[in-house]
Amino acid sequence: MKSRIAVTGLGLVTPIGEGRQEVWEGLLAGRSGFAPVESFDTRGFSAHLGAEVRGFDPAPWVRRQDPAALGRASQLAIAAARQALDDAGLDPEALEPERAGVAMGTTSGEPREVERFDDKYLAGELEQVGDEFMGLYPCHMIAAHVARELGFAGDNTMIPTACAAGNYAIAHAVDVLRAGRADVMLAGGADSFSRITYTGFARLGAIAPERCQPFDRNRKGMIPGEGAAVLVLEPLERALARGARVYAELAGYGLSCDAHHMTAAHPEGDGAARAMQRALADAGAVPADVSYISAHGTGTPTNDRLETLAVKRVFGAAAKNTPMSSIKSMIGHTMGAASAIEAAVCALAVALDRIPPTMNLEEPEEDLDYVPNTARDLRVVLAMNNAYAFGGNNASVILRKHEA
Amino acid sequence: MALENRRRVVITGAGCLSCLADSPGGLHAALVAGHSGLKAIELFSTDAIGCHQAGEIRPFDAQAYLPDRNLRPIDRTSRLLLVAAGKALAASGRPLEVAERDDGEIGLVLGTTFCSLRTIAEFDRRNLQLGPSYASPLDFANSVINAAAGQAAIWFGLRGLNSTISAGAASGLAAVGYATDQIRGGRANALLAGGAEELCFESFFGHYQAGRLCGSAGNRNEEKGEVPIPFDARRNGFALAEGAALMMLEDAAAAAERGAPVLAEVLGHGSGFDPLGTPESAARAVARAIRLALEEAGLGPLDVDALSAGANGSVDADRWEAAGVAAALGARAEILPVTAVKSMLGEALGASGGLQLVALLGTLEDGVLPGILGLEQTEEGFPFPGASPNARRLPGHRGSGAVTALATTLSADGHAWAVLLGSWRGSA
Amino acid sequence: MSSNAEEIRTRIKQIIANVAGLNAGRINDDAKLREDLKLDSLSLLEIGVDVDLAYKLELPDERYKEIDSLPAMVDLVQQRLGEREMQPKAVLG
Repeated sequence: MKSRIAVTGLGLVTPIGEGRQEVWEGLLAGRSGFAPVESFDTRGFSAHLGAEVRGFDPAPWVRRQDPAALGRASQLAIAAARQALDDAGLDPEALEPERAGVAMGTTSGEPREVERFDDKYLAGELEQVGDEFMGLYPCHMIAAHVARELGFAGDNTMIPTACAAGNYAIAHAVDVLRAGRADVMLAGGADSFSRITYTGFARLGAIAPERCQPFDRNRKGMIPGEGAAVLVLEPLERALARGARVYAELAGYGLSCDAHHMTAAHPEGDGAARAMQRALADAGAVPADVSYISAHGTGTPTNDRLETLAVKRVFGAAAKNTPMSSIKSMIGHTMGAASAIEAAVCALAVALDRIPPTMNLEEPEEDLDYVPNTARDLRVVLAMNNAYAFGGNNASVILRKHEA
Repeated sequence: MALENRRRVVITGAGCLSCLADSPGGLHAALVAGHSGLKAIELFSTDAIGCHQAGEIRPFDAQAYLPDRNLRPIDRTSRLLLVAAGKALAASGRPLEVAERDDGEIGLVLGTTFCSLRTIAEFDRRNLQLGPSYASPLDFANSVINAAAGQAAIWFGLRGLNSTISAGAASGLAAVGYATDQIRGGRANALLAGGAEELCFESFFGHYQAGRLCGSAGNRNEEKGEVPIPFDARRNGFALAEGAALMMLEDAAAAAERGAPVLAEVLGHGSGFDPLGTPESAARAVARAIRLALEEAGLGPLDVDALSAGANGSVDADRWEAAGVAAALGARAEILPVTAVKSMLGEALGASGGLQLVALLGTLEDGVLPGILGLEQTEEGFPFPGASPNARRLPGHRGSGAVTALATTLSADGHAWAVLLGSWRGSA
Repeated sequence: MSSNAEEIRTRIKQIIANVAGLNAGRINDDAKLREDLKLDSLSLLEIGVDVDLAYKLELPDERYKEIDSLPAMVDLVQQRLGEREMQPKAVLG
């Protein structure tokens, strides 16, 4: 009998705001996080829009370390982690250090540090690269910095499975808790905006020139973003014993690999379908039990079509009655943070019985209910969060309403 | 989970590439013979750097191992991984007919620190020099840290569970731990687990500037120069290296069903993290990792026959790792045979854990533990009198020939991992 | 200066060979990129980038997406080079 896991705290730093309340309200209101890219010069690029986190100040959050000694993704991660702990009513200093751990996902780690290196390299000024390169750059530093900030000495793992990483990190945290190796796990994802990532997606022709329109017939692509989200996960028994608020239970997860192509999904949605099926099996549920799906929904022609196909394969007749929306229509594609942000949103959907819309949806390409343009009241018993990544890594996570 | 009811995890094959050897048997033989794989770097120019030595794999002709397929989209890290994966699959008899309990698919859990920092940096530099419309699409596909795992999955049709784990030098042990959990939890029956890391200018330069290499400007040991000597009082850093090492981990019952030869059992694993960067905190993290590994195995300190430490010559980390092991194993540490293979292999980061474990498979088979090359004088308070520069046969292990061996790592950034391997003792 | 079709074809074969890991000498003059050479979308994109860079064509991606064979690629390059010869020297920038 698998032990039950509770989601007791949420922390969010996104292109439409910080903190669970501001972000949730923004999503329900359809707020857009898109604007011309500011953090680097996009002249010469085929695209110019991004979903950056503007005006982020790490100082209130990064207290034990010098913010200037951390990469941006680490700063975002720490902000989300502290928010989540506050939200959960947990004082990190009161936790037993070896029983508190961190599992984070990312796509790029701290790419700005490589960019700095390259700038120096090309300018012939390599001697100016100091110890900060190895101290900041490796992606495992994100999880390390979070743990150093909070004094956590338990399991500390970075799972860099690109655009599905947040879900992978949450899945690992669930395993650590179920194995009894921690009392509290911080699980989530973080990525910082970078010219490397932007250049890559622009080069693939994947970035939409004007609007991000997931599932729309005229969609033209995704819009890169940045952000972080952290969920506090604990054994349900512990959460209830200390009187914590339980947003939702982390009911199960499923992972799969397409083994097909580095940047394009399997043409029949094969891996995506298997991840969903495994998640349902792990949660002891069937498709008809799912109230809401938080889609990967990047807005690219291929992803949205194949994702719809995979959902139809798994859900069959129930697909048309299962609302599915993509918040990437508002906050863009925040890479490794995306599925963590979406998992947090699913936890709120389950707790508050409301679901966010897919914005900019004028002409749905297919006949599923994509929750077009307006948030909706809905009794959400089971929410499924799907994520698909380069390299064919797929992950589905299921959150379930906690009924006392 | 009670030991009796728990799925057991065994190793049914292994493949590796390192600066010393390209087979598990070759690796063990070279380590026992005390050979060093460290050499002057030819892969890139070290003119701008005060260090010139690393565990470079040379010659490395991936096409020779993987004929008839297009390697252009595959960068060095992925090539190292593909070769090791092919060897591990072949060695394990590629269990495609695994029991119908799941869909019979093989997965991959890969430890890596950077995947390919070189690909990422070159992609960026080409963009800066030629403009974004001339950035390389193939390089971008390889610039994500899970790229190598993805390439391997495509190449070999590995449609089972696929994940990438990063914890610095502890990545490989972490990957094996993760894979073990997945198999015990019934989510997979067969997983390749281990790690890969390439040697590249960007990584080498970065480590040099951080003063971590044994020949770094601030580190140079007058007597020894650029040679890493783990646990030695004169140590002053590590030598960087590259490699790939994978083991086929399987559910023991499934392995028995297909008649697979079993090389060893994964008895347990554990981890800890040092958030403070102090000797006590670091040792505590290592001790926690070992304690959890022993608990999972249902064993105690006296059951450990040998230690393969991740010590690589780092001034502090070597000492803290030793202190942590001593704290966990108590009196057993005083007579414990200890090796530190990075004295010969260098620090291959994501590939290290896999290489440590693959090397231990040799020890499990013939009872011989490699020495610590170059070890001459340990410092005061060093807890392992059993550490020696020479290979040694493990003292009579209760007459059964069975060996229980511990592999540990404390990374430069505070990640501590332990994996316990044992001779396969019984039926599933 | 104009390049003749033979020179262009040889150079493009080299680019394709480099991306696809093939022997340039084994690529037929009339090869179809997807059907005959089994090139996937990522490789085709890379080839387009490399051809554009080699000849400084400065063509948008859409032009390359229409190319399905080696002859078509050669034609595209010749045509574009011809166009640029006809243009007065543009101000750089």
